[in-house]
Amino acid sequence: MLIEIKDLQKNYLMGEIEVTALKNVSLQIRKNEYVAIMGPSGSGKSTLMNILGCLDTPTMGEYLFNNVDVSSLTDDELSAMRNREIGFIFQTFNLLPKMSSLHNVELPLMYGGVDKHARKERAERALQRVGLAERMHHKPSELSGGQRQRVAVARALVTNPGILLADEPTGALDSKTGEEIMALFDELHNEGNTIIVITHEKEIAEYAHRTIFLKDGMIFSDAPNK
Amino acid sequence: MQFEENIRVALRGLIEHKFRSFLTMLGIIFGVASVIAMLSIGEGAKREAIAKYQELGVTNIIVRDKNLSGAELEEVRAKFSQGLSLADANAIREIVPGVEKVAPQAEKKTEVKFADKSSNSTLIGITPDFIDILNYETGKGIFIDDQHYNNGMKVCVLGASIARTLFQSREPVGEMVKIDDQWLEVVGVMKSKALFTETVGELASRDLNNDVYIPLSTFHKRFEPENELASELKQLTVKIESSEKLMVAASVLEEIIKRHHYNNEDFSIVIPYELLKQEEKERRIYNILLGAIAAISLIVGGIGIMNIMLATVMERTREIGIRRAIGARKADIMSQFVTEAVAISITGGIIGVILGVMLSLGITLFTDVTTFIRLYSVFIAFGFSVIVGISFGYLPAKSAANLKPIESIRYE
Repeated sequence: MLIEIKDLQKNYLMGEIEVTALKNVSLQIRKNEYVAIMGPSGSGKSTLMNILGCLDTPTMGEYLFNNVDVSSLTDDELSAMRNREIGFIFQTFNLLPKMSSLHNVELPLMYGGVDKHARKERAERALQRVGLAERMHHKPSELSGGQRQRVAVARALVTNPGILLADEPTGALDSKTGEEIMALFDELHNEGNTIIVITHEKEIAEYAHRTIFLKDGMIFSDAPNK
Repeated sequence: MQFEENIRVALRGLIEHKFRSFLTMLGIIFGVASVIAMLSIGEGAKREAIAKYQELGVTNIIVRDKNLSGAELEEVRAKFSQGLSLADANAIREIVPGVEKVAPQAEKKTEVKFADKSSNSTLIGITPDFIDILNYETGKGIFIDDQHYNNGMKVCVLGASIARTLFQSREPVGEMVKIDDQWLEVVGVMKSKALFTETVGELASRDLNNDVYIPLSTFHKRFEPENELASELKQLTVKIESSEKLMVAASVLEEIIKRHHYNNEDFSIVIPYELLKQEEKERRIYNILLGAIAAISLIVGGIGIMNIMLATVMERTREIGIRRAIGARKADIMSQFVTEAVAISITGGIIGVILGVMLSLGITLFTDVTTFIRLYSVFIAFGFSVIVGISFGYLPAKSAANLKPIESIRYE
């Protein structure tokens, strides 16, 4: 099992009041699954994504990633985990604006300690994979929204992570480019990648093979897509 | 993350924000430049002083006949003192320990004439030892020698300025000049003594380049004293074998002369070495003060760096969040920002060094203040600027590293 979550709870302090964002969440994700996490805003899906992405640790419960207990990791170990095992794809792309696409894609490898030559080669290959080989020296501002998201996908792919974690990946794109990105996700899934998409759009969730529906911080439903 | 990468990231950051980087650097630039300039002014003054006292001779003791008013002089003579004399010179030579040579000199203010030109001057009667004891040098011709002295010959050696005033471009050596009612042959011209034109104690409150030297024997034989009560000599320059023996010799010397002068305080003793030490001590305080002012400006420069970097951290919250999300550790963010601060201060330091050197050269060129840049001052200024960069970059870097990745990545 790639991901095993048992009785997860996450509490936040909102000023003086403690708010429970997630409770009694248990789920398992196998390798090469394609999962959509859905729910209205405030349902806890962002919190779940942060925990899945090792950006945050649960208040209670267990999160095993490849049998590693994530909740007991130090800040440095979480960083290493994000670097090696998680490929983030954000709604607003989150590329570094002053760097070329190539450099953006190289960045995770740099933090992973990969040497310069290997880094460049792997980044080029990742950009090639998303179809942006000839735009790799362009800065994000010189690219269209769809192209930017492809750079972001390349950056997520470049370390060969355990999961690709996409947070509203088409939220900032028009429907046609959104479809292209989702088609790319399909291809990546077929190549053996594990993909988790967080979305509130039903059409996007339908690309996945399984949908987990969150409501009020709890799992409302978890079923394969027809 | 490798150090090299850090530098690249930091430098790229600086280049992307050229103007802001430059403004941030300004404090460091001026700080470093002023440290270098201040230290060079201090060093220049020190060297000038050393050169000055070296001309006086650092192992010399100088005994001057006091300038007394007519009434005072009468009183002293009434109390049996004959003033400074050759007898004093002999007593010093025989009794004071560690004496190498004694150079007596007599002085008289007078006028020197050549053709239609004339110049006020101080006529100085000396023995041939004089030139060795005082580290003076002739520029042309020869100095007064034993033959001139033993035979009381009518020869003179001119100071550099008076030679120029009287002869302009003509060759003075071999010409005759008239002093009082005496004609003297010029046998030499002294080298210019550029540094020694200011007062040192009672010494040389006149332009030494305007002096005229003649044998002491000739002085006493051919020239009237300034007044009938005047002392035989105006000055004794006593050369001691080494500076360690200086203080003992000086106290013995003072006792002897006091006794010879029947306890009249009609003489003064100047020890150039002591004056040099004294002046160095005073200047050190002054230099520390100058350095401190310059250092404060460097620290202010550092605060400038901190200020701008703290603002930069805010502005770059999202960038920090992104970097953290893709695997940067706190330490990576930390070192990125510290490296940026250091890159700013190093670049500012280099520009500051260049500016400081130019400032020092400019000061020497356009004012009469002497400056001298010692290599260590460049290292001090530069090293200090790097330390400032690290210490003032630390706080912003720490606040950057401590940003929570979840919050910073959603920061708008």
